[in-house]
Amino acid sequence: MQRLSTTVLVVGGGATGIGTLRDLSMRGISAILVEQGSLAHGTSSRFHGLLHSGARYAVNDVVSARECIEENTILKKIGHQCIEQTEGFFVALPEDDESYIGSWADACTAAGIQTDEVDVNEACSIEPELSKKAVRVFRVPDSCVDGFRLVVHNAMSAKRHGGRILQYHRLVSIHQEQGNITGATVENTRDGSRLEIDCSAIISAAGSWAGEVCSKAGLDVPVSPDRGTLLVFNHRFTSRVVNRLHPGSDGDIFVPHGSITILGTTSVPTSRPDDTAPTEEEVLRLLDIGEPLFPNLRTYRILRAFAGTRPLYTPKGTATGRGASRNFQVFDHAKDGLSGFFSIFGGKLTTYRLMAERVTDACAAYLGISAPCTTHLEPLVPDPDPDVLAKAARYFPVSDLSLLADRAGDDLIPILNLAEACASEGEGANPLLCDCEMVSLAEVEHVARADDTYSLTDIRLRTRLGMGTCQGTFCTVRAINAMYEHDLLPAKDPLLSIRDFLDERFRGIRTTFWGTQAQEMELSHAIYAGVLNLDTAL
Amino acid sequence: MSVRGDGGNWPFVQGIRQGNTSANETAVPGLSWNSALNTMSIHLNPDNCLACTTCVVHCPVAAATPAFSGPRMIGPGFERFRLLGLCEDRSLTYCANCKNCEIACPQNVPVATINMLARFAQCREEPPSFRDWILAHGEIIARFLSFIPARLKNFGMGLGPVRNLLDVIGIAKECPMPSFAKVSLRSLFAHSANLETTKKCLAYFPGCYTNYYDPKTGLDVIWLLRKAGYHVIIPQEFVCCGIPLVSGGFEEDAKKNATINARVLADLAKKGIPVITSCPSCRLMLSREMKELFPEIIDEFGEPVIEDCMDVFTRLVESGELSPNTRERNIEAIYHAPCHLRALGGGLPGFELLASLPHSHLQNANAGCCGISGSYGFKKEKYDIAQKVGNDLFMSVTESKCSLVLSECGTCRLQITGNTNIPSLHPVSVLRSLCA
Repeated sequence: MQRLSTTVLVVGGGATGIGTLRDLSMRGISAILVEQGSLAHGTSSRFHGLLHSGARYAVNDVVSARECIEENTILKKIGHQCIEQTEGFFVALPEDDESYIGSWADACTAAGIQTDEVDVNEACSIEPELSKKAVRVFRVPDSCVDGFRLVVHNAMSAKRHGGRILQYHRLVSIHQEQGNITGATVENTRDGSRLEIDCSAIISAAGSWAGEVCSKAGLDVPVSPDRGTLLVFNHRFTSRVVNRLHPGSDGDIFVPHGSITILGTTSVPTSRPDDTAPTEEEVLRLLDIGEPLFPNLRTYRILRAFAGTRPLYTPKGTATGRGASRNFQVFDHAKDGLSGFFSIFGGKLTTYRLMAERVTDACAAYLGISAPCTTHLEPLVPDPDPDVLAKAARYFPVSDLSLLADRAGDDLIPILNLAEACASEGEGANPLLCDCEMVSLAEVEHVARADDTYSLTDIRLRTRLGMGTCQGTFCTVRAINAMYEHDLLPAKDPLLSIRDFLDERFRGIRTTFWGTQAQEMELSHAIYAGVLNLDTAL
Repeated sequence: MSVRGDGGNWPFVQGIRQGNTSANETAVPGLSWNSALNTMSIHLNPDNCLACTTCVVHCPVAAATPAFSGPRMIGPGFERFRLLGLCEDRSLTYCANCKNCEIACPQNVPVATINMLARFAQCREEPPSFRDWILAHGEIIARFLSFIPARLKNFGMGLGPVRNLLDVIGIAKECPMPSFAKVSLRSLFAHSANLETTKKCLAYFPGCYTNYYDPKTGLDVIWLLRKAGYHVIIPQEFVCCGIPLVSGGFEEDAKKNATINARVLADLAKKGIPVITSCPSCRLMLSREMKELFPEIIDEFGEPVIEDCMDVFTRLVESGELSPNTRERNIEAIYHAPCHLRALGGGLPGFELLASLPHSHLQNANAGCCGISGSYGFKKEKYDIAQKVGNDLFMSVTESKCSLVLSECGTCRLQITGNTNIPSLHPVSVLRSLCA
């Protein structure tokens, strides 16, 4: 069996885990991270994408609110490539409780969150799709964050500082000697091979899977997965985050993201961390709840629905679901008799860095290392050189450059090199494979060449291929064709790759299968089942 | 980027305004995330687009040049990103607004109109060139030059140095230029007398091309209407329909004209006077584009109703009020359907009327766009594209061996005749000669 040695093993490749790996690496602590799927395969890729200002939590949870506004400010500095610096509106409708508005504004002020009332007519003129029935509108410093990209950029930073990431590796067992952590066994989920990792400490940042991880050490922890369903709309009908100004509830936050808008979320306790299949009832309910804020909501096309599970920390005697605290908890399992084992429970995407900092502090103290946290000071990925951008303008649509540069981070130069190589082959040699999200061949090729890319879904997550209007109808066959020509993804049968990718896309569409999206799927069906005869071929 | 909802003292808003990321400070255009401050003006919901690319297949410009990303990308595809505040795609100006995408779209997406709205937004940031101003403001220029005798103007326009000068500002030297008429249609009309006995009244919107370059078409329309017993008026207040202003990106000017015309049309509607035009592009602008581009004008004045004169003549022929005589004169001609006429979706009344007459040998060229698209083909950098687009049509016309081309659109005729040396007329002129 292969053997690796490190100081700290981090379990979980979501925002918190990767953030922890980055923090450890930046403090000079040798660390390896294992993730059972691909990066952010769990909750971090199932994001609403709201970079909270904290205003949402100000009334009920002032600690969370304060943390949010601080982290919000830090992330805008260190991770601007992952963030659309919009602002947010809190909008009260006639049926909302007037008295709540005052207490909300006071609570925001107390938490250090700036709120500014906007004239309703002005608000409606800058957000023309917003309900004309709005009675009060406030501005808050909410923003939008791409949770997946945040994880990828943290991973780039962690790797630059020496961190190692093993994707598709599942924790099998935790080794301990006399109450101290000594290592772990992990299994490669793709080929079943096993790996021994010797380490002095383990940090579990497994989110909704925290219960499973802790059980490997024989511990029981109070984390309950809580399912949230979200809707993705085909276009951006709001330019800012729009929250309903009332006590937090299902389906009352709209977050614009690049070319789309996301509405969410619901909150339903579940027993499984991977309970991520939305239901049609949830979709219809979200529409009902969202409609008062955007009266034309039902005329917008829904691309898909998705669900994720929040890892709520619910010690005995506290509320679950919507009422549960969104706060996080660092847990030193020395209390349970296992030294060197730390868990981080609860929390939210906005505060991932702080969570990583706190758990790393605890772990570093255990290891006797005093290096301070610097993750709030250094940008996740450096800004591209102006010369590089000027050069990129030659090979990519200019309008797409900022999207590409932000998406690619450290990968911009290798992508540019591939594009240059493409261009030398002749005019139009770096075509857009995905028109809807403007993804070109060079970018797809770069990701496809990476060692940890196994499927079109891996490529999709990194590039947004297949995430736009046509949901893979046109780009799937183009991408597979390009892969085939460039001899990429050799292990995968092209027809199987197409089917797996379209299946994955269709899973999210099944519950929103009406209107234009149903027409789109008819077209997709005609292309793949009809023209390409995929059903019979497989 | 314009901010109606001013950010005030908001540090994060100010940060955005200054472009607080170093990437924003580079010289490369379009690197900005100004989404929050991107005030959404009217936008056409791009959701109906299935990305099926039927429009791309039917786009004459995309077929002629790889420089154009195609109607689907530039229209509904990129519209999703415009709302994010991304800089405009370079190839937006390649859209000729010929509307073939809209004709082809199975989902009724107003593709070209989305492009024109984007062009407006682009021109708010970066005003269009002097050349574009000239091409878009033909009416003002014609009025301004009206004191110069037509012969002198046309002589001047034909001179090498003048064409060279125009070429320098970006108007293609090779392109055929329309000749100014000696007297505009409106002046001719003002001096002609209506039949006093008639009771039925009809208002005629001649359009700039007919008025300044081709009054014969207008006179033929009026002659036929009077023959059928109509009292014809041309309201003095009518101005350019604005379609060249739209293509040129002159939003304010187009809106001003639309408002004036909408008001006049509303007055006429109130008085119960029907309005007709002989120009398909004017009709497209007044009856369709206006409500997509300036819905607020329609809210104020109501939806204008304006009919194609050939539809009116079809009815008059059917009812026997006009009786064209084809026994002595055969129609030996080839017909070109202007794109904007096809975009209106009301069939080809001019072609159908003349083709249905006994002894008619009128054939439909059915060879797509002529390439000129109003002023598109005059632009130096677009000239070659326009020629390539029109090539199929020029071939069809030449191979037909016909000695006459018929088409409702003035600039289409200019383009066809310029490239084939075969004379061309509006179908109404043939009808008039048959009714004489």
